[in-house]
Amino acid sequence: MLEVRSITVRFAGLTAVSDLSFDVGEGEILAIMGPNGAGKTSAFNAITGFARPAAGEVLFDGRSITGLKPDAIAALGIRRTFQNNGILREMSVLENVLMGLELSTASSMAGVVFGLPSSVRAEQEAVAAAYAQLASLGVSALAERPAGSLSFGQQRLVEICRALVSGARLIMLDEPAVGLSPMERLQLGEVLRDLAARGIAIVLVEHVQDLVMAVSDRVLVLNYGKKIAEAAPEEVRRNKLVLEAYLGTA
Amino acid sequence: MSKTADSSATGNYRVNHLARGRTLRGLGLATCLALLLGLPLLVNEYQQFVVNTMVIYALIAVGFNVVLGYLGQLAFANAAFFGVGAYATGLTMVHLALPLPLALLAAGAAGTVAGIAVALPALRVQGHYLAIFTLAFGELMRWVYVHADAVTFGPSGFNVPRPAALGLLGSPERGKYYLFLAVAIIAIGATVRLLRSRFGRAFVAVRNNERAAASLGVSVARAKIIAFGWSGFLVGVAGGLYALLNGRVTPDSFGLAQLLLNFAIVMIGGLGSVLGSILGAILLTGAPELLRNFAGIEEIVFSLLLIGVLFFMPKGIGGLIAARIPALREPLHRE
Amino acid sequence: MLAQLAISGIVVGSVYALVALGMTILFRATSIVNFGHGEFFMLGAFAIYVLKQGFGWSYPVAIAIAFGLLFLVGVLVERVLIRPLGSAPFLSFAMMTVAFSFLFKGLTRFFYGRDVSMLPPLLNGEPLDFGSVVLFPQDFLVIAGAGATMTIFFLFFEYTQVGKIVQAASQAPRGAALVGINVPAFHSAMWGVAALTGAVAALLIAPSTLVYPDMGGQMLVHAFAAMTLGGFGSLGGAVLGGLSLGIIENLMGGYVSSSLVEISAYLVIMLVLLVRPQGVFGEWRTSRV
Ligand SMILES: Nc1ncnc2c1ncn2[C@@H]1O[C@H](COP(=O)(O)OP(=O)(O)OP(=O)(O)O)[C@@H](O)[C@H]1O
Ligand SMILES: [Mg+2]
Repeated sequence: MLEVRSITVRFAGLTAVSDLSFDVGEGEILAIMGPNGAGKTSAFNAITGFARPAAGEVLFDGRSITGLKPDAIAALGIRRTFQNNGILREMSVLENVLMGLELSTASSMAGVVFGLPSSVRAEQEAVAAAYAQLASLGVSALAERPAGSLSFGQQRLVEICRALVSGARLIMLDEPAVGLSPMERLQLGEVLRDLAARGIAIVLVEHVQDLVMAVSDRVLVLNYGKKIAEAAPEEVRRNKLVLEAYLGTA
Repeated sequence: MSKTADSSATGNYRVNHLARGRTLRGLGLATCLALLLGLPLLVNEYQQFVVNTMVIYALIAVGFNVVLGYLGQLAFANAAFFGVGAYATGLTMVHLALPLPLALLAAGAAGTVAGIAVALPALRVQGHYLAIFTLAFGELMRWVYVHADAVTFGPSGFNVPRPAALGLLGSPERGKYYLFLAVAIIAIGATVRLLRSRFGRAFVAVRNNERAAASLGVSVARAKIIAFGWSGFLVGVAGGLYALLNGRVTPDSFGLAQLLLNFAIVMIGGLGSVLGSILGAILLTGAPELLRNFAGIEEIVFSLLLIGVLFFMPKGIGGLIAARIPALREPLHRE
Repeated sequence: MLAQLAISGIVVGSVYALVALGMTILFRATSIVNFGHGEFFMLGAFAIYVLKQGFGWSYPVAIAIAFGLLFLVGVLVERVLIRPLGSAPFLSFAMMTVAFSFLFKGLTRFFYGRDVSMLPPLLNGEPLDFGSVVLFPQDFLVIAGAGATMTIFFLFFEYTQVGKIVQAASQAPRGAALVGINVPAFHSAMWGVAALTGAVAALLIAPSTLVYPDMGGQMLVHAFAAMTLGGFGSLGGAVLGGLSLGIIENLMGGYVSSSLVEISAYLVIMLVLLVRPQGVFGEWRTSRV
């Protein structure tokens, strides 16, 4: 579904990602690991339109999405979360989740302004769908709270909720387990497996080993912007290069 | 993961709670409307004129708030939208003899165009750049009013014909009042609906975090164009009404002093609060009438008010209301 | 004619450059865009006018006191109005500068009415004729004064230890605090310096224009145009932008239409921001994710 073809991302002299390629298929969970500064977030940014790759190509359903704007990429059915500061702090939790439905709410501007029934209904249905999504993650009690007042872990959950509600086909999560309690992490793992079972592709950047090992089908390891390993979780754990990268002896 | 029992309980609570809030609000609105309709019986001609001014400023403030409060962009073009609207109505009535409704639509259209024109740089630049651009735009418009005198009648302005229909209700001020009120209610009502829809949410999402908004499929450019265009529309229409109010349009009504008054009203009302903007307009609009006779006093009073609000009441009246009267709390209000 | 227009452009342009430089320094040091900067210029002109014409003091005394007063005004603005806002959003700071600009304008209008006053020239003397170009002694003074002030700034920022630390402080306040800079005091001082540059500009140009409460707004727009043209936030850009703006304005007035002089600055701002927002001389600084 997602094919990344030798992308390179540069920032003023620094090569954050170099010649990275990987594929993710329907219902598959790919974890990307790597030490701090390895280029994981930069790879996300290049795929989702927030950074322009200096070279290479990104294909979604066989179609090139390189160079498209973030909102155009989102419209194709790709959703991401941010490593930090991805929440809309001044909006309520419900409104945050509703933002995930921005593209699927069929109200038109004229319809809204004149209060036409079709648009009113579309807005109401969006609210219902948002509530349902919140309930399925067990956080509907938070709906009216300002998102900025939540704990870090809860904010993560809201972000994930927002990505899920859109019916995206590819979901990319940048360190979603930071700030989650072990219980919440387990729950997150369950949710991810559940999504994969429904055919949704997931790319997961994560440091937390137990989560990665438990959910991912494949693990890709980056170091200094380069892919140093890509294999099943148990294999990666035994990979010498990976151990070196993490122990800093590379 | 499945906490269905829990969630349906909260859902029920919410529905009841909402319904109660809605009846309360409905009753409140009906009372307000009755009062507004009866108001001309209680005031004299001059007081009616001041009230008419308040209605116009309520519309201006709501329009300005769309950009400043909801979209969160610092723009100084509000007085320009206002002027463009006033000139559009006045000039189409003078030169083209357009009937009043069409002349007001012309004001809205001109305001929308000006709003979108200002939004174009907002797509590439933001923050102080946009503020500077809009400042230049406003002053440029004033230069045009003064120098395009073949069309605009130059620095001294021109008289706007008074439509006969406005005199039908006894006094011209009263006729204007019902017209202004109808326009303001329709326009503000539409704005409230817009702000509560996915469009308004997109404005606030852009204000909060452009990157996150874009990642959710919001076209930041489109949100800005819609917000600026709508803001220009409202303020432009208010300008059209202003041309009728005074029966005269002059370039110096749309300069920096106008802008200061607009800022003061919106800030006192509270960024991101429609109700606050309306109350702010009512509070501050009478003041210029009282202060007009002393050089500089108007500027001193409004700037001190602005400073006071920034220090002591950064959320404005809207914030006070949201904290004290939950039934009147507006969605998307700034926390 | 071209030479004369260009030289006159450089004369006014050096004043724009000076004001733009003051705003840029403040922006670099505090990341606040000061919409009240024009009023520092206006207050500077009024301070000199009142001390010179009102109190009848000699120019040197009036100037020295006016400069001191303006530095104080800048520091007070920072202490009383800006600092208490703490970590408020950008909008609040911008709004605060708008508010105090109107406050100063209103106060001046209240005390000095709506009339227009004049300052005598600093230097008298016959105009000097260089063939195709005629210059007044005052013109030399303007160029020299603005040039000297700007040179001092550059030497300070680029070549002294303190200047470099100051630049660092504007990039990373927390780091600056770590190396022992008193950041709040530094911000106060920068506001004082910014206001002071306004007064210097007023001293140089007010004798050839007039002194009136609304004079600040025009200067603000010109300074913004200079900064935009040169690349917002760049010290060198502010100077180049100011000089270019002066020349553009004069050429537009001389060759196209005199009514265009008033709006050259607006047109420059709008054109540059639409076509090349990083400024004609500037590089685009991308912000980090
Ligand atoms: N906008 C930017 N401008 C300049 N350099 C950047 C930018 N974004 C990232 N970098 C640099 O690129 C490199 C890769 O950063 P990136 O954020 O992609 O790493 P990461 O693997 O996500 O790290 P972490 O685990 O800390 O999140 C780092 O050296 C970082 O400093
Ligand atoms: Mg990262």
